[in-house]
Formats: sequence, C-alpha cells, structure tokens
Amino acid sequence: MAERRDISIQVPVLARVEGQGALELRIHNGVIEDLKLRIFEPPRMFEKLLEGRDYSEVPDIVARICGICPAAYQMSAVQAIEALFGVEPGPSVRAMRRVLYCGEWIQSHSLHIHMLAAPDFLGHAGVVQMARDHAAEVRRGLRLQALGNDIIRLFGGRSVHPVGVRVGGFHGAPAAVDVRSLREQLRAALPEAEALVCWTASLDLPESGQEFTSVALRHPEEYPMNRGRVVSDGMLDISIDQFETHFTEQQVPHSTALHCLLDGRPYLVGPLARLNLNRDRLPAPVRAVLDGTGMRFPCHNMNYSIVARAVEIYFAVHEALRLLEAYRGLESPFVDVQPRAGTGFGCTEAPRGTLWHRYDVARDGGIVRARIVPPTSQNQARIEADLRQALQAFGLEHEDAVLRQRGEMVIRNYDPCISCATHFINLRVRRS
Amino acid sequence: MRGHLHIIGVGSPFGDDRLGWVAVETLQGSAALAALGGGSLSFSILDRPGTLLLAHWHDADNVLVVDAVRSGAPPGTCHRLEPGELSAFESISSHGFGLASALELARALNDLPPHLVIYGIEIDPSGAGCSLSEPVRRSLPWLIQEIEREARVFAPPGVH
Repeated sequence: MAERRDISIQVPVLARVEGQGALELRIHNGVIEDLKLRIFEPPRMFEKLLEGRDYSEVPDIVARICGICPAAYQMSAVQAIEALFGVEPGPSVRAMRRVLYCGEWIQSHSLHIHMLAAPDFLGHAGVVQMARDHAAEVRRGLRLQALGNDIIRLFGGRSVHPVGVRVGGFHGAPAAVDVRSLREQLRAALPEAEALVCWTASLDLPESGQEFTSVALRHPEEYPMNRGRVVSDGMLDISIDQFETHFTEQQVPHSTALHCLLDGRPYLVGPLARLNLNRDRLPAPVRAVLDGTGMRFPCHNMNYSIVARAVEIYFAVHEALRLLEAYRGLESPFVDVQPRAGTGFGCTEAPRGTLWHRYDVARDGGIVRARIVPPTSQNQARIEADLRQALQAFGLEHEDAVLRQRGEMVIRNYDPCISCATHFINLRVRRS
Repeated sequence: MRGHLHIIGVGSPFGDDRLGWVAVETLQGSAALAALGGGSLSFSILDRPGTLLLAHWHDADNVLVVDAVRSGAPPGTCHRLEPGELSAFESISSHGFGLASALELARALNDLPPHLVIYGIEIDPSGAGCSLSEPVRRSLPWLIQEIEREARVFAPPGVH
C-alpha cells in the first residue's frame, strides 16, 4: 500500500523548458492539496512597447518576442493589420508566407522532439546522453532543424528574428536558384520526415487519458496554419474577431503570465489539439503514414504530442514542397497599403498553438493598443490540471526526485515558452 | 580536411555579444591570415546557432570558435579554452542551447573536429546597444594576434 504522508516538493528550476519558472506541490494525506506552476519570468511589456509605433514597425518588433517562433508573431500581426486596412497581398504571397510558416514548424518541432522531449521517453537525462545511443536519430533531427532554418532564412533574410515580412507582403522575392535548391532539400527530407513519424510512434509512450478540450484553427481545405476559424471539439466555432467573447485572460498571483480560459475552463492548444481537430485536413500521403502507425486520433494522451509534432513536420515538408513546386516568382513582393483607423484581428497557428493578436490603430497608422495572446498562456491552466491528474495517477509516494522528473515530463509535452508567455522551472514539493 | 582551418564567430547584434562577429570580420581582413593562402582558411559568422553549430565545421580538422565569455572574471579578460574546459552544466532549452551544450552534443555524436579551440573575451554584462564595451575593445587586438599565431600552427603556409 502506498505510503500516505504529508509532503511538500519544490522544483526550483525546470530543465529543458524555456524561461524562468517553478513547480510547487503540496501533498497532504497522499492527496495533492495545492499545485502551482509558478512563473516569475519578468513581464516583457511588448504590448505596451507597440503603442505609439507605426503599423509598419509591428512585424519586426513582434518578431523579437520569440527566438524560436518569430515568424508566427509576424504572421498573426500582418494578418490583423492587413485585414483592418482591407489589403489582400494575393495568392502567391499567401502561399510563400505558408512556406515560411512550414519552415518554422519544422525547425521548432524538430528541436523540441530531439533536444527536449525524446530523452524523456528513452530514459536519458538529456539529448547529449541520448545521442550516444541514438546518434542516427539525433543527426536526422539536426538535419530537419537545419532545413527549417534554411526555409526561414530564404524568406526572412536570416533565421533568427527574420526581417523579410512586411505589411502587404514581403520586402523581396526569393531568387529562383535558391528556391530550386530548397526544393531539392525538401525532396530529400520527405523520407526522413516519414521515418521520424514512425520512430516517434514506436517510442514507449506512457498511457494516459484525460478529459480536455482541444482548440485550434480550422480551414475548409487546409491543415490550419495562417487562416481559419477558431474551433473546439465542443461547441465552439467562431471567427477570429469573436475570440474575446469566449476567451478571457486572468491574473493569478503565482504567475507573471496570464491564464487564458475558454468560457471559464482550461483548454489545450498546440500540435495535439490541431491534429485532434484537423486530421482530415492532412494531405492523403501524410494521413496514410499516420494511419500506418496504428495510432488513432483524436487522442487524449498528452504523451502523444511528440507524434503529433512529427506528423506536422512531415506535413510541413510535404506542404512546403508542394507550394514551392508551384512557385513562379512573385509579380510584386508586396502591395501598397493605406492606413485606416479601426481594430484588426489576426490568428495563426504558431508551433506551440493558436496565437491571437488584436491591434487598435489610429488613422495615421499608429498603434493605439495591442493585445497578444500567446499559446503558452492559453495552455497554462491545462498544464496545471494535467499535472494534478498525472502526478496523482503516477503515485505521490514516489521520491521527490522521481516526482520532479515526471512533473517536468508532463510540462515538456506542452513545449511551453515562458519567455513568450510572460509574460519557467524550479520543483518545490511540501509534504505535510 | 587536413591543414584546413575554419574560424567561426558566434554572437548576436547586442553589445559585447557582438565580439565573435567583430573578431571574425577583423580576421577576414588580416594580412597574416591571408599569407596562409585562401584555400586553407574559411570563416563563418553565426547568430546564436545552438545545436546547428555542428553543421558548420565543414569537415575541417581545425576549428577556432570565437565567442563572448561570462565566467565572473573582470571584463576584458581573454580566454583560450579547450572543449573539455567548458562547463557542461548549462541549462538546455529550445531557446538557450549554448556553446558548451553544442560541443557536448558534438562529442556524443563523435563529430568534434580533431583540433578545436575556443577564444573569447570576458564581456561586460551591463553593456547595452550595438557596440563593444571599452574593456572588450581594448582586448580585441590581443585576441586577434593570438588567433593569428594559432592559425599558423593549425594551417601552415603551403598545406592545403
């Protein structure tokens, strides 16, 4: 019989998680009495920094919010401002923005799968230890990550904080010779990405089942990336400008990041939520590989997030190749825009999940007010709910170090980016 | 490649973190290095490459990495480090995969070049803006001279 004691565990630094945070756990009579994902990453004030800036500066400023998903911030921002100004940059610009987004998904997901998540499922302390036993897989991951960076560099000028995106389109069109070279790289990566899906599905992923609501964009034809309605596996099906009527952010004393709730309840965004809601939007070859693994979606086991990320890498390689094979140059890399006063909304799917922006703009194009709801703030309440259930099911009688490792693993499934959200991890457990 | 030397500057546009970039830009114009012959030398300037640093050895046998250093020493202090001297105790996250972690990963994958040396200057952590602080700027000529001296050992003239 499990020992029933009063325990308090504190993990003061969370490993393989981005940002400054901690996990506090208080256990009384073998039951979790209190659990807090404490985030003390200082607020970064990006929304305030944007006030008074010209609309044209927004894409480069918001790219600085995150070093891993800068293009996502740019995509939500330009979508919002272009919608307000009544600008349509045209199908070829839209297609190339989708390619840029594919690059970001490939590099971000590959990094998370190999450097952060896979060691959990292979019993290694980290990627360095894992690389000794799984060198071929780690090398493959590095190649995919580099491919993602190359795509971002093609459209963004550079892979860190890209600068190629502007309101109305891109600053310049990529050269045909560079696009040809990238197409060759993408063709070579297709079998690698397919093998990655099979490898992640073959991992010994712990069984877990929890009730939660998945939220993601959904588009009539496409696997969602930079266009669609916000939907859930419940009743939600809204346009992006209705976001604020259902999603509310609230302060909690233990976090500098806001908790975002859907009609007052926690929910999930990110690769698993996207796949749960959009499996039927995957191209047939990608769906066939996923079905071949024997895994069934929708899925409520967060440990399967690693498979969802691999599927999205395979999809993104496939999609970028499809779009670049149709590339005939950009007639004009951008269209001129005329500022207009009002409010614009943007919502796209960042690697970590739905990223919603709202900009109130003055007649001269100055930003009056900005609101940015990043994926990690949306997942925070869900992470806490998951931790409560997962650790209770795992067994609170385990030693602190084991509980801490399991807690970090639960958190890592969400690939939280605390720097983006603070607007992370140390474990502190109190057993009393 | 035997006798080939690849010099990598790692950094970012901010303050003393520019050191790796400024050093490699200076070395690219170095008469002493030009005398070694262009075929035996190559350069990369990288913005926080993280895990992807490994992709930049280009099969070179000899690699020099120049990066800003924070060890607690006074700003301007020059460092010459072998890979084993870097502390492996470095937090790994998706955003913060540093030089020490990248070298540890390269070692685990058996991808470390036979000769790899890290040069750096202790930075002033309070520095801001887009230029080097005075202590780092004062130490830069010494760093350049030391790298030129070591380059002659790694890639002697006539060896291609």
